[in-house]
Amino acid sequence: MAKEKLYWKGFDQLANTEVSKRLAENEFSEDLPIDQFLGDDNLMANSSTSRRDFLKYLGFSTAAATLAACEQPIIESIPYVVKPDSLTPGMPTYYATTYLDGQDFASILVKTREGRPIKIEPGDKTRFNWGTNGRAQASVLSLYDSSRLRQPIKDDTESDWVTISGDLKNAVEESVNDGKQFMLLTGSIFSPSFKLVVEDLRQTYANFVHVEIDAVSSSEVLDVWEGLTGVRAMPSIDITAANLVVSFNEDFLSSGTPQQVASDYAFRRKPGKGMLRHIQIESNLSLTGSNADKRIKIKPSQIGLSLSYLLNQVSDSNYSVGKIDKVLKNQLDSVAKELMSSNGKSVVLVGGNSGANAYLSAALNAALKNIGTTIRPDKPIYLRSGNDRAFENAIVDMNAGRVGTLIIAGPNPVYNRVGFDSALKNVNYSLSLNDRFDETSVATTAAAPVPHYLESWADYVPTNLDFSVSQPVIRPLFNSRPTIEVLSELLGKTKSAKDLVKESVLAKGLNWSQTLHDGGASLKIDARIPSFTEISGRALVGAEIAMETAGSMDSGAMELSLYQKTVGAGYQSNNPWLHELPDPISRVCWDNYLTISAADALSIGFVNETQSNGALDGSLANIQSGELSLNNVPVLIQPGQASGTVGLAVGYGRSQVGKVADGLGVNAYALNLLKGFGVVKITPAGGMHEFASTQLGNTMMGRKIVNEVSLSDFVNDPKGSSWNEKPTFHTLDGTVSADEANLWENHDHETMHMWNMSIDLNSCHGCGACVIACHIENNVPVVGKEEVRNFRDMHWLRIDRYYSSDMTPERADMEDVGVVKKYAEMEKPGVSPEVVFQPVMCQHCNHAPCETVCPVGATVHSREGLNHMAYNRCIGTRYCANNCPYKVRRFNWFNYQKNEQFSSVNPAQDDLGRMVLNPDVTVRARGVMEKCTMCIQNIQYGKLEAKKAGRPLKDGEINTACESACDTGAITFGDVNLPNSAVQIAKNDSRSYHLLEEVGTQPSVFYQTKVRNRV
Amino acid sequence: MNSCRMYMRKGFSNSLLLRLLSIVLTISALSIPASAEVDVDLGKKLFKSNCASCHKLDKKLIGPALSGVTQRRSEEWLLRWIRNNAELRASGDADAKAIFEEYNGSIMTAFPALSDDDIKSILAYTDAVPAVAIPKDVPTVQPVAEPANDLFLIYVLGVFLALFIILLLRIRNTLKQINGDDSSTVIQDFNALTQWLVGNKRFMTAATIIVTVGFIHQLFWFLMAIGVEVNYQPIQPIAFSHKIHAGENQVDCNYCHTSARQSKHSGIPSTNVCMNCHMYIDGTEILNDAGLPKYAGERSPEITKIYAAIGWDAENRSYIENYEQKPVRWIRIHNLPDLVYFNHAQHVTAGGVECQTCHGPIQEMDVVYQYSELTMGWCINCHRETEVKTDNGYYAEAADGGKSINERLAAKFHDEIITVEKIGGLECGKCHY
Repeated sequence: MAKEKLYWKGFDQLANTEVSKRLAENEFSEDLPIDQFLGDDNLMANSSTSRRDFLKYLGFSTAAATLAACEQPIIESIPYVVKPDSLTPGMPTYYATTYLDGQDFASILVKTREGRPIKIEPGDKTRFNWGTNGRAQASVLSLYDSSRLRQPIKDDTESDWVTISGDLKNAVEESVNDGKQFMLLTGSIFSPSFKLVVEDLRQTYANFVHVEIDAVSSSEVLDVWEGLTGVRAMPSIDITAANLVVSFNEDFLSSGTPQQVASDYAFRRKPGKGMLRHIQIESNLSLTGSNADKRIKIKPSQIGLSLSYLLNQVSDSNYSVGKIDKVLKNQLDSVAKELMSSNGKSVVLVGGNSGANAYLSAALNAALKNIGTTIRPDKPIYLRSGNDRAFENAIVDMNAGRVGTLIIAGPNPVYNRVGFDSALKNVNYSLSLNDRFDETSVATTAAAPVPHYLESWADYVPTNLDFSVSQPVIRPLFNSRPTIEVLSELLGKTKSAKDLVKESVLAKGLNWSQTLHDGGASLKIDARIPSFTEISGRALVGAEIAMETAGSMDSGAMELSLYQKTVGAGYQSNNPWLHELPDPISRVCWDNYLTISAADALSIGFVNETQSNGALDGSLANIQSGELSLNNVPVLIQPGQASGTVGLAVGYGRSQVGKVADGLGVNAYALNLLKGFGVVKITPAGGMHEFASTQLGNTMMGRKIVNEVSLSDFVNDPKGSSWNEKPTFHTLDGTVSADEANLWENHDHETMHMWNMSIDLNSCHGCGACVIACHIENNVPVVGKEEVRNFRDMHWLRIDRYYSSDMTPERADMEDVGVVKKYAEMEKPGVSPEVVFQPVMCQHCNHAPCETVCPVGATVHSREGLNHMAYNRCIGTRYCANNCPYKVRRFNWFNYQKNEQFSSVNPAQDDLGRMVLNPDVTVRARGVMEKCTMCIQNIQYGKLEAKKAGRPLKDGEINTACESACDTGAITFGDVNLPNSAVQIAKNDSRSYHLLEEVGTQPSVFYQTKVRNRV
Repeated sequence: MNSCRMYMRKGFSNSLLLRLLSIVLTISALSIPASAEVDVDLGKKLFKSNCASCHKLDKKLIGPALSGVTQRRSEEWLLRWIRNNAELRASGDADAKAIFEEYNGSIMTAFPALSDDDIKSILAYTDAVPAVAIPKDVPTVQPVAEPANDLFLIYVLGVFLALFIILLLRIRNTLKQINGDDSSTVIQDFNALTQWLVGNKRFMTAATIIVTVGFIHQLFWFLMAIGVEVNYQPIQPIAFSHKIHAGENQVDCNYCHTSARQSKHSGIPSTNVCMNCHMYIDGTEILNDAGLPKYAGERSPEITKIYAAIGWDAENRSYIENYEQKPVRWIRIHNLPDLVYFNHAQHVTAGGVECQTCHGPIQEMDVVYQYSELTMGWCINCHRETEVKTDNGYYAEAADGGKSINERLAAKFHDEIITVEKIGGLECGKCHY
């Protein structure tokens, strides 16, 4: 009888599927990477080494290694000959400067050690765009990118600057003689000294033409605002003055606006009465949309119609509006009601580069009396000035052979504009001034390197109230020259970039040293803007034409919206930190892909499959947009995607950017959707794509991992007894809290400091800047796509993303669906899910499960509330990781700094990339566990600074990397033993709770309940 | 123990005595008769403190060489000039003006505080040291023979003992032969003894245990000593002597190792710091043990290396323009592995630990060697025993109306001494991260 009885491991085995058969045959579900440890796979296969040889080699190498270890290597210590006064070896020096990578602008502080910039910190909070997003944080590595152009290049051979300048001079003269244009193509220019040089060129050469383009164009929007205000600039948005944000496809929290609004948004989203309400109406599930209180799905072609409809509703006007879907109409009615109730205190934003949409949103804001309160045309932002019409004319001129000399300084039009490639062939002489030998530089006659922003002098006027300077923090690493110097030389001037910037600063009546020290100054320049009523009047008058344009916009069964991931528009595509950071929404690294709704995927026949090792695979698709097409694009099914729409990120599909990103993803610019959206045709392509995703579980399965409460419940019950219930246990001593139900003695945490961290889930937008900051600060290795796919990512800090499910335990009870189906359904994200983000790092448990299982005492508790990890004691049993309920420990599988497998992704593999390593933190060897230390190097540094000054520690003096990188102040770190410290106040807040509190680990990290402003 | 032996080997006490003696002898032998108020020793002292930064006896520095100045100028003129040279120049003295112009208008400090006797003493000192009498062939001091090694003596004794035993055995054999007994050779005796021992189980067991334990013990300590480089004393590119600088001339450690107070690195002084002094001290004045100029009046070859590094033209007393500077490539002596974080400021500033506690009698080292083991055990032992300097405001003062750390420590440990261990100084993460 016993013979007949069979046990199944699972349904798979019962069904006898392929996967279960394979699992049954092998002891391990996947091959153990032994050959990978040993290096070259090929060599191993062809090796004739016998077992005896192996033993001989083993014995010899052991003996040799032992003998070699006895001899101490001779290490030199080389001091300066003349030490700079400002530098003390071993101590950081900070410089204020300005970050500009062609896309983002930020006022920053650069931390340097022994003359090397190693970390980007946010600038002074009075400066414009003081925060640092992921790209700003990661930009320090772009300085040490070994794929940068090192020498001027002419005819594919190394050249020198004398030749390049001579050739350029000759070419320009020839163009003058031939009556052809001398064209300068740049990105948006808002540098006063650069503008002066351009003006000089215009005066000197009658045939001079200057064209500006942005990778992700805002040209039509700028045209609209130029028409309304007379100034070609974006208006500022003042979210602090708003009670309601309605955003159409505008991802203003991560990459949409040139202005950083995340900190203001977080400030206005502090829970309590008057909390900002946010409605997002969008096609792709964006980072901004996932933070919204209400999210409405829309097709991009419907945005203009919706804006027109809303305009009719709020202004009692009666323009004819095209056909709008009934469901959407109902939703818009409620939006209109909310908009009207916060007249003058709302803001309507619209994404993309459609002039009609931009005009309608201006008109809607005008009708709502928002212009002058939340929309501030009197504070124009000059960061975008690209002009697509001028660029189109330039292409026409180039094709007609009217352009003799072309200098391309900054943009990469061969990569991100269609048609430039062929036009370039008709230019006599073209010079690319660029940081790398990119797609455009390959096509030009000559290319020459320009310095990275950390090596450059520059000045900027980002708004009419700010003046910023950029100062070098390191000598140029390569033989580079700033564009401004090359152009000045052409004019016969031999001024350095520093001279030009200094002239510019002094001309503004500013003190040179003070301006450099502060990184700029507040400076009011009259923007000559008409009055707000005049602007509003103009906006409303022209609305009807805009409506017609919007009404006649192409629509189709499938519409594509382009978006940006952390990589952005593609200026820093070769930065491995940006690729290794999982996308906040999809949690996929190292890829771009077509996002599609589950329903559309089903109808077209796209699938996402999970392999036996948990890795995700997706179908491939072909995209057709007019004449243009993009083939073999991976498809990812995205909950929350509006049906009839797909999304694709730009910035990928590079061919000439460097070893990290060449051939990664597909180039979305090739579809030439300058508006940012368009009608496409999607057809299946054969084959599957392998994704590298870091998160498989999409929902919380009904558990309290992220605690949420609606604003009304929060206001009605501020103590939180109904929505933040603490778990209790029934013991012999009565009912006790999880903290009190102990097996162990408590640690002494009263005598010294007690470091705690509070994470406010209400302020966290999930952008991931903290993750990159953590990578930089702690020398966390980059592991590349393959290893992330194997779930061996090394992030010490991850941001978990959870979707809400349409199935809840309550609903299951009501509908009586049965347990199996209930859990199966709860695992699936909803069609329109709410999204929550939760940063999780080592929780520094005071009763840490990892500590009790370590056989060698490598992870032990400190009396300051931290869980220490001694790497050199660790023998790699990984018991600790298995016993960790938060899964925050990372095992170092490979020698990432040496192993050839990681040579293209790990920056620490070359001498240049190693310069970015933090000298205060160990580079861990293979085979040890690593995890968050709460930046113990900063704690020790802060304590020592206090001791050196002979004073007690102050609150806020010590910051972790994640805390300082967070613009929104979601992370608070400090000593909970210090009375009235920010973290102590946060700990006593009614919203605070511990993650998995019922486990009784007593973490030093706690979270603040998320409050949603539901109506 | 080790360090004691080292001092002995270096003949530290001997050379110091010898040097003092020689200086006294030289000075007394060369002294010229002086009046009761004029004191050559006092003159030397005053010269060093007031004049030496601009004058040398035998060659030009910022001012002229002063040896034999009494022969060139009258005493009365010198007194007026030294006390207030500006006044003398203003009075229209032609000599004074001439010398002022000869030295490019460098203004000499006035010394109104010096008495006539003081100045006379200085002048006597300038006369006392002969300017030109520098023998080119400097007699070298024979190094004192090193005392025989203790271990060597033991070996010698051992050999004697062995010979003695063999001798005794032979005597016994000879006596046996004389008696007519069966005699045996030494080798036969030895064989017999070995056979008996090999046959003896107890002996073999004991021997095996002793040999095994001994081997393991030796192996353990051999392995433990790998990477422990006590007494590591590499030859440095410049024969810099801490004994001369920190010992004899009492230069404060922090003068050169400035960052030890602020930073994790103690910092090797950059060459420009050397030049603060060595712009004036070029080695010509250094005397050897015999009291004669060590480098025969030439610049010290070691100090010349500093000039070569930074590009100092010692003849024209100026820095060479566009000189390609060559940093000095010192050999690092104290090497901690990368996995450990050590901070000098924590120990020097916050802990008030003397440099010598870890670096040994640095002021007595001609060539620096590693004094301490620099092992984790060594660190930990010190952290167990050392008392925390709790008078620092970090511990003593309370922030924001809370209790100070001292109060909290007192509540826990009462009257016990607060060692580094008690505030968490043994925790892994404090040094390993």
